[in-house]
Amino acid sequence: MGQAIHHSENRGTRIEYAGHSFLHIKHLESLNIEDVKNHSAVIIETRDLDYVRMIVSRIRGNIAPDIYLKPIFLQSRNSINDLVLENLVDGRISNLDKVASLVELVEENLNRVQDLTFANSISFEAQMITKMITLMYTKDQKSLLPIPYIYSSINFAYPLLSVNFSETDEHAVLNILDIAESEGLFRSEYYDRIYLCNQCSSSHLSYREVCPKCSSSNTKSDDIIHHFPCGYVGPMQDFKNEIDDKLDCPKCNKRLRHIGVDYDKPSVIHECKNCSHTFQDFFVNAKCLSCGSDRSVEQLKSKIIKSYFLTKKGESAAIKGFVTTTKDIDEIFGTIKFDTFKTMLKYEIERLKQTEGSSNICAIYIRNSSLVYSKLGSTLQKGLLKDLISVIRSNIRSSDVISFVSSSTIILSMNEIPNKISNKIMGNMVRLLEELIASTFKKLDVQFEYKVVALDHHKPYEEHITELTIDFI
Amino acid sequence: MIDKIIDNYLRFLSTLTPADFLEFFWFFLIFEFFRYFLVEFIVLILTEVKKVTSRKQRASASAELFFENPLVSILIPGKNEGKHLYKLVNSLSEQTYKNIEIIVVDDGSDDDTPAIGRMLEKAGLIDVFLRNEVRGGKASGANLALRYSKGKYIIHLDADCSYDFDAIENILIPFYMELGVGGVGGNVNVRNYKHSLVTTLQGVEYYNAITIGRKVTSYLGIYRVISGAFGAFRADVIKSIGGWDIGPGLDGDITVKIRKKGYKIRFAADAHCLTSVPNTFKKLVKQRLRWDKSLIRFRLRKHNDVFKVQASFRLLDFFSAFENFFYNVVLNFKWYIYLTIMLTFYRPLFINVFITNVLLYTIMNYIKFLLFSLFRDRSHSSVSYFLIYLPCMVLYFGLFLRAVRTIAYLQEIFFKMSYKDTWNPRKTSIHAEYLRL
Repeated sequence: MGQAIHHSENRGTRIEYAGHSFLHIKHLESLNIEDVKNHSAVIIETRDLDYVRMIVSRIRGNIAPDIYLKPIFLQSRNSINDLVLENLVDGRISNLDKVASLVELVEENLNRVQDLTFANSISFEAQMITKMITLMYTKDQKSLLPIPYIYSSINFAYPLLSVNFSETDEHAVLNILDIAESEGLFRSEYYDRIYLCNQCSSSHLSYREVCPKCSSSNTKSDDIIHHFPCGYVGPMQDFKNEIDDKLDCPKCNKRLRHIGVDYDKPSVIHECKNCSHTFQDFFVNAKCLSCGSDRSVEQLKSKIIKSYFLTKKGESAAIKGFVTTTKDIDEIFGTIKFDTFKTMLKYEIERLKQTEGSSNICAIYIRNSSLVYSKLGSTLQKGLLKDLISVIRSNIRSSDVISFVSSSTIILSMNEIPNKISNKIMGNMVRLLEELIASTFKKLDVQFEYKVVALDHHKPYEEHITELTIDFI
Repeated sequence: MIDKIIDNYLRFLSTLTPADFLEFFWFFLIFEFFRYFLVEFIVLILTEVKKVTSRKQRASASAELFFENPLVSILIPGKNEGKHLYKLVNSLSEQTYKNIEIIVVDDGSDDDTPAIGRMLEKAGLIDVFLRNEVRGGKASGANLALRYSKGKYIIHLDADCSYDFDAIENILIPFYMELGVGGVGGNVNVRNYKHSLVTTLQGVEYYNAITIGRKVTSYLGIYRVISGAFGAFRADVIKSIGGWDIGPGLDGDITVKIRKKGYKIRFAADAHCLTSVPNTFKKLVKQRLRWDKSLIRFRLRKHNDVFKVQASFRLLDFFSAFENFFYNVVLNFKWYIYLTIMLTFYRPLFINVFITNVLLYTIMNYIKFLLFSLFRDRSHSSVSYFLIYLPCMVLYFGLFLRAVRTIAYLQEIFFKMSYKDTWNPRKTSIHAEYLRL
């Protein structure tokens, strides 16, 4: 072990120690997310917790394993009073002189990362599950416990998974965990029950007793008095006189003297100051603080919050790679598995060696897939992909094949077509896809990119695929 | 033995002169035949004439009602009536008159009435459901509903009754036919008349006493009991008298209170309501003891001022109370005098007189029932069903109900038993007794 060497760079400070490079970040602006890949770990100076949360979220929320799996340490003299943040980072040092104490942790993390095999997860849910279980594996974490969290729209955070979602889409976490459990990767235990807004799925609700008729919470309550001698029954207000604070019966003018003897209070009545409706049982409404909808509590969505525990199958899936879920998309009609596509590509390249023909492979990439899929949920996501494949299939020849590289990248072959024409077809196709989205999924902004690579029989098929998808992964 | 009685009776009939007939059957002729057949028959004819002549007036009253379309508050107080509520509100939703608010008061039920009531309120089938955790009695329940009513007219219903689709409309029309009407009673008939002998007999009794009897008293201006099962009131009038006082017998009491305020009380024969009557003699006795005691309590004690000549004296109120008192109380005891005279002075002829009385009453019942059936607006039961049971009416009305009435009157006159009736909670009865209410 030796002295730590500090290199100041535009993108933060690099600290080298014992053969490891630590990226030291002081400001959010100094973080270039791609730069994280080049370091063994990240140290964040804890001045303002909000910016620390943002930096940690950007790293853990990234989709590249060599970014989201990177160990993160906080530099702080005091312990961090934020359970979610603590769950997302790997440790704390009081100052940079203590870097040496991190080395063992970093090496352990690197060793664990080397155990992992990353398969291309096709569905969004599978991608999220992969991220979650690989993170748990590298952190040697066996359980995923819900943490009551004020910044979460569902009031509970599963930090390693929730970090991938914006506050408004956080409810999707529960669906993904359900899928992971149904796949046998987790077992669960009941923790709590929450209620979500039926409009926006937020759990930030304000519960109020309201008038059953107009839903106003502006009400007043009064005791009902029954005067035994004359049988008059009415609110206490009726019995008050203007002279003293005694109660007199408005029907027989007798003074009320002894509860239980000449009068009693058999019930309470409420009057709405808004619509004057009188009632005895309030309705309970929940006003969503996120979207403003005000509904009866019966209309809320009830969800169970569980503690999750990684199973043997879950651990194994983390190491060997988790590719599909039962909700996956490889059964989408008109596509073939990616492995089959690769084999067919290999034969096409071999064929070109003989024919000197002109064939291409093309890719369509959904640039904002994480955002889109988190908004849609798994069922609609599958519907979207089905529609996309249907449009693509109708615009290519039947001899050409389509496959998924991932849920955001579709790959297809265009054999015996000049590269220029392939580009033109792809351009038209993307335009059609955009029109389809605009007409079918209103309010959903899906951003497409495409790329065409002409096959060169001098290059192996792997090189073609890398060239095609390098910009998209 | 029977042959001997028949022979004896035929001999008695053959020797019976008009003078003898009057001497033996003066009670029937003077009181029963005159009042319950002759007067009623004449008045029924007059009501039919009035009905024809006032047809236009009625049409314009109906039009005025629908033009004004006032809010009508329907009050349904009761204890453990939850099981009837859904059927009742459903029948109310079928009414031709739609601008109604339904207020149900649960007077300390100990069954599932609160849950049913809340559910119906939530479903919008009831406008207001109020529950008193502690039972306060029928009057307190009705008064609570009245306190929170917003309608121009108040209709008081019993939860176990059902109503013709136009009953609400028809009970409101009299308010628009003449000025100064403070309350209107509906035409209550028996739903379960086929259940047993006792319900069948009550079916005939209700027809005589309500459908016919109240038509007559209403025409004469002496109608005195708006039934709690179906009665309509002007909201301002009923509120001005402070609603209902402690019962039992609060229906008759509130009617008298309204009359004493100078308002007219009318009967709407075409506002039909069906109720379930007691289905055993034991239950009937309990009910009638309660009703009959209230006659003494309210007519003789609480409202005895109608008999006094004072500033507020009104002749019709006097007649109304007098007719009620005379025919129910005085003649009830007078009958025992008649019985005593017969047993004392005409002992050898008693059986013959008794048989003749039974025959006279039975014949009158048949003629009356068949003849008066012609005046029925509408029937929920066939006339022929009752014909076979009419002979029983003599024993039912003349002996059974008379005995019950006698016991009730004596209990109330000497022991004020109505104040001890558990129909009302003790906490309220104790005050009513003390204040002589």
